[in-house]
Amino acid sequence: MRNEPNRVVDALPGLAWTALLDGTVGSLNQRWYEYTGLGRDAAPSHGWHSAIHPDDLVRVLDRWQSIVASGEPGEIEARLRRFDGAFRWFLFRWCPFAHGSSEVAAWSGLAVDIDDRKRDEEALRVALKRGEARRAAILDSALDCIVTIDHEGRITEFNPAAERTFRYRRDDVVGRMLADVIIPPSLRNAHRRGMARYLATGEERVLGRRVEMTAVRADGREFPVELAITRIPSDGPPSFTGYLRDITARKQAEAELRRSEALLAEGQRLSMTGTFVWRLDTDEITFSDELRRIFAFERSVPVTLELIGSRVHPDDLPLVAEKIALARAGGVDHDYEVRLRMPDESVKYLRTYAHPTRRPDGRVEFVGAMQDVTERRRSEEALNKARSELAHVARLTTLGALTASIAHEVNQPLSGIITNASTCLRMLDADPPNVDGARETAQRTIRDGNRASDVIARLRILFARKSTATEAVDLNDATREVIALSLSELRGGGVTLRADLADDLPPVTGDRVQLQQVILNLLRNAADAMSGVDDRPKRLVVRTERDAGDRVRLTVQDTGVGFEPAVVDRLFDAFYTTKASGMGIGLSVSRSIIENHRGRLWAEENDGPGASFSFSLPQGKP
Amino acid sequence: MIAMRSLVSVVDDDESVRESLPDLLRELGFAALAFSSAEEFLASASVAETRCLILDIVMPGMSGPDLQQELTLRRQHIPIVFISAHADETVRSRLLAQGAVACLFKPFSETALLEAINAALRVN
Repeated sequence: MRNEPNRVVDALPGLAWTALLDGTVGSLNQRWYEYTGLGRDAAPSHGWHSAIHPDDLVRVLDRWQSIVASGEPGEIEARLRRFDGAFRWFLFRWCPFAHGSSEVAAWSGLAVDIDDRKRDEEALRVALKRGEARRAAILDSALDCIVTIDHEGRITEFNPAAERTFRYRRDDVVGRMLADVIIPPSLRNAHRRGMARYLATGEERVLGRRVEMTAVRADGREFPVELAITRIPSDGPPSFTGYLRDITARKQAEAELRRSEALLAEGQRLSMTGTFVWRLDTDEITFSDELRRIFAFERSVPVTLELIGSRVHPDDLPLVAEKIALARAGGVDHDYEVRLRMPDESVKYLRTYAHPTRRPDGRVEFVGAMQDVTERRRSEEALNKARSELAHVARLTTLGALTASIAHEVNQPLSGIITNASTCLRMLDADPPNVDGARETAQRTIRDGNRASDVIARLRILFARKSTATEAVDLNDATREVIALSLSELRGGGVTLRADLADDLPPVTGDRVQLQQVILNLLRNAADAMSGVDDRPKRLVVRTERDAGDRVRLTVQDTGVGFEPAVVDRLFDAFYTTKASGMGIGLSVSRSIIENHRGRLWAEENDGPGASFSFSLPQGKP
Repeated sequence: MIAMRSLVSVVDDDESVRESLPDLLRELGFAALAFSSAEEFLASASVAETRCLILDIVMPGMSGPDLQQELTLRRQHIPIVFISAHADETVRSRLLAQGAVACLFKPFSETALLEAINAALRVN
């Protein structure tokens, strides 16, 4: 082999050489010399391997040996030292060649700089490794289950969360069909069809969206999951990643919430109570369904203060305006009754409770409940009406018993009128006419006429059918009237009456007629109690006085037969009577009336003979 | 000889009766005295003279019927015309059965009164 420079070989873009079978170098091209910086005179016998990195040398030589032995071309990567001492990666290639004969006479070698490529590969590998590490970390630490499948539907990835949720180990499921692993049997066909359709037509229904479906665990237990599927971009056949979350707990909480909301709504409906929230800063108002029902507001209509105002009874608008102003100003608790006027003109009564609350973000809301108490109010009104009626009936029965007194009261003046008129005529007929006498009789006639008129007027007031009226009542005046009315009857029974009426008695607030009814009842009872008494004076005392606690007390005391202590409670029962002809309504109605006036009616035995019946009423409010 | 007027005594606790009735009685030609209670009449000097007693039934203290009984006990047979503001037929029949000449309910007419007094005077 001649070591002769060859222009072509020198021009090759690579390091070329020839080697003899014993490994010694035959020739080296110019590039080789230039690259390695080794001079031509540095004996090439060191060979083409002289600039190889020491760490790679053994490997290279081994390779060279095996190549030579095989007689086939071969290659190896190794680092070569540059003229400046830097090492770069090269790909070494050997090819056998022979001069004329078929036997390999020598080898040619070519080394190509692959350093950049090698470095890129390295960087790529490192990046890849890092990327892998990161991905693994994400998959491993993700709370959500992450499952990846290929285009055939086989599982390729199954992260730790998926392992925990579905109770499989990754290794056990990778490679298996997803449908067979986590999709419930009843849904497998649908899944397969969906996949097939997508692969065939690109038409899909689930990608990129959150859906809810049922999944199945290793033990066969099905449970609800929330699922998002994305397609992994690639040139080849598609693969998909699914992100799943076990939403069993959430579903349960939702069901609980729905149930408790239903219970609340039911509770509101049963108690006819609706609730509202009113944001004071925006005037945004939320009504519960029941409250909408009470107000007859459609579900779709937003509730505003104006809308509410349109339902409030006109007479209560000032009250509501006041409450609204109060709410804005200072957040006082509200507890009041308000009326609504409904479209059909009917009236509803609503009991309202509300109070301010402060949200965590600082805004103030008014939270309240309104209960429809219309029925209760109506019942109360009906009850009051019934009471009035009953009191009226009691008055009428008293009226029957008082006929004697009435007749007496009226007939006396009438008799006087007739007597005086007769006398007047006679006096005028006399000869000479007794004009003075006649005048006097005429005057007496007028007086008696007025007397009769007064009696009628008083009786009419007492027995007139009136509904409950409330006014300031002077108990002394009322008592005097009643006494005047029953005085003759009492006297007829031989009863002496003394009225002991306090001077400074404050007025009470109530129904004058009803209170007089009570006083009348007590007087009659006292008289009745004394009707059989003949061994002692029949004395009746009516007393009014101030009572403790800003109250006013009236007492009717008699010297009658009294009552057995044992029956004191039954005295006030309706229809309880000890009188042969009594109806027994009086005391029960009387107590009812007094209690309606927020008072108390009770009976006590006297120290001496007889009993005292008293009632005490609160002083009237100014 | 001047005819003496017969004395008619009126016993009634009602003031207007005591005011008006004696005047009418005088116009009718009688002498008349008025007493506010049975007790007052009994205590007066007029019992023996009274030719006719116009007597209220219901009075505090001694009632009309009580006085009737008392007079009977005292053997003072004075004809009695009861007057009353209470129109009670039961009481009326009882009183008539017990010897009253008449029982008039207020208001009564002059005619009825005169008739009753004349009837009373005819007794004896």
